[in-house]
Amino acid sequence: MTVSDTKFFAQGNVYLPHIAVIEKIVEETPGVRTYHFNFKDEKLRKEFTFDSGQFGQYSVLGTGEATFCISSSPTRPDHLEFAVQKVGKVTNALNRLGVGAEIGFRGPYGNSFPLDFLKGKNLVFVGGGIGLAPLRSLIWNVIDNRDKYKKIDIVYGARTPADLCFKYDLEAWDKDKTVNMVTTVDRGDDKWKGKVGVVPKILEEVAPSAGESVAIVCGPPIMIRFTFPVLEKLGFKPEQMLTTLEKRMKCGIGKCGRCNIGNLYVCRDGPVFSYAQIKDFVSSEY
Amino acid sequence: MANKKVGKKDITGLLEQWSQQFAVFAPSKENGVAEMLKWDGQDTSFLDWYRNTVVPPKASFLPPMEEMFRFQKGKEGYNIEPPPEDENKPLIFGVRPCDARAMAILDMTFKDAYEDPYYLSKRKNTVLVGMGCTNPCESCFCTSMGTSPTDPTNVDLMLIDIGDEFLIEEVTDKGKELTAKTKGLKEATKDDEAKAKQANKASYDRVTRKLDTEGIKDRLLASFDDEEFWEKTAAKCISCGICTLLCPTCYCFDINDEMVKQEGARFRSWDSCGFPLYTKMPMENPRQEKWRRVRQKVCHKYEFYPMTYDIIACTGCGRCIRLCPVNWDITQVIESVPTKTEARK
Repeated sequence: MTVSDTKFFAQGNVYLPHIAVIEKIVEETPGVRTYHFNFKDEKLRKEFTFDSGQFGQYSVLGTGEATFCISSSPTRPDHLEFAVQKVGKVTNALNRLGVGAEIGFRGPYGNSFPLDFLKGKNLVFVGGGIGLAPLRSLIWNVIDNRDKYKKIDIVYGARTPADLCFKYDLEAWDKDKTVNMVTTVDRGDDKWKGKVGVVPKILEEVAPSAGESVAIVCGPPIMIRFTFPVLEKLGFKPEQMLTTLEKRMKCGIGKCGRCNIGNLYVCRDGPVFSYAQIKDFVSSEY
Repeated sequence: MANKKVGKKDITGLLEQWSQQFAVFAPSKENGVAEMLKWDGQDTSFLDWYRNTVVPPKASFLPPMEEMFRFQKGKEGYNIEPPPEDENKPLIFGVRPCDARAMAILDMTFKDAYEDPYYLSKRKNTVLVGMGCTNPCESCFCTSMGTSPTDPTNVDLMLIDIGDEFLIEEVTDKGKELTAKTKGLKEATKDDEAKAKQANKASYDRVTRKLDTEGIKDRLLASFDDEEFWEKTAAKCISCGICTLLCPTCYCFDINDEMVKQEGARFRSWDSCGFPLYTKMPMENPRQEKWRRVRQKVCHKYEFYPMTYDIIACTGCGRCIRLCPVNWDITQVIESVPTKTEARK
């Protein structure tokens, strides 16, 4: 369970958002955007810290609040980022905002990727679609501290080449000789020269070794469901498989009820879980 | 322990006295259903009809709808205005032991990890005056759920019906402070104590419905993927949500914004795991099927809450049985949960 940390409460109340300003908008794919933002309050801008894997509750005041992970890395603290797909009420309202618009933010909430556990190990990142958002916070974090980790494999896929998010990151990791970057799409097009096939299948081909390795998985639920069995086949134990989950949330702090998987709340006990923690419930609840 | 007592005919005077210092809430049917409402200053007829409220007293701490903050959009951007400090000092008169225990269960969630300022500030300011049940309902099963019709554990003062008078048990320091300042209370005699003891025993025996919860956590864990059992259990449920909205231990809420022109507010309101929208995400819904939602309701109370807080989140108040429009019965469900060897996966 996370320990209550009150230092970033707005006006001493956990439910009150801080005002933040959108500084830049990046069109990732049709429908997916990354927002760069900073707090309006200068003191908070300087003092705010978070860990890779944590999330925030973002407000478009008057429309409502929604949950997104912080997709930037704490090793690059000059601004914060989150990425959203335009699918619901709040994300559509966000989509109507431009640079300079104000949003609300409260957080950071939830646990984070266990860096101490990951240190000195081979890391296998498995991502699908916009599920790369939380992983990229950790990937940049790890690359910025490269000597602390061993081999890095990244298997990332989307439905079509146009649906690949964070293309600038994919390019940078592809060029990085210390990273094995494998990009795949479910359906290619004339220009596509990379792999074709769903992420779990390509992961099986890449066949990363399970010894001294940890796999970190994030993507649509169907990808997560099919990836765990592949990892098990490759010899990964449930403790060596991490994921970060997404559920509908309202409060973000373990009160409003809806984001549980079994007895665990994704907001309070996660969003980062090992497969060992959730395997009793995940088959029918995610 | 020197208990106090008060005559039944003196209850009006007692509540008048307390009204000088507190906002007194008492059972009322003013809105058609029994609930704890601000006492009108004279009516104590509830002493005759009151068995339990339909709306549980949790509504005093987690209202059906509550403003969280206001905001204005001006030239300098948004301004967020926290809610004013709640200076009300409520006293809830006539709380039943099952509902008082439910509040202690709710406290666990609202204190956990991050403290919930809205719930906890109201809770801190409130005095709970309990009243033992002399006439439990057929649907009540509190004696199987760690409490009893006269259990004083979770209130500040406990009133026990001893005929023409109530014996007043001082449970907490808050309760003692209150009786010390209250005029017109008499010292209870040995005879009164004996009558109270007798009354407690009689009330206890009137709760005839029993539920065996031995090993329920493990049985539910083993049966989690038994779809056939859950489909059967959920078959007649119409997803109206009443068993959760009016459950004294249910706390789920939704959060929504309202804005007119440049001003708005954020509210929270009761929500229910019985509704498909509760978990709906744009692309998926992990609990689209009704049986998954019914499973969540049962497992949350009898499996997940015990896993996290070591207590079953049900106090046997019987509301979900009494109020269900299709006679869904939690005690029958719990008794029929398959054992590990029976469960089908």
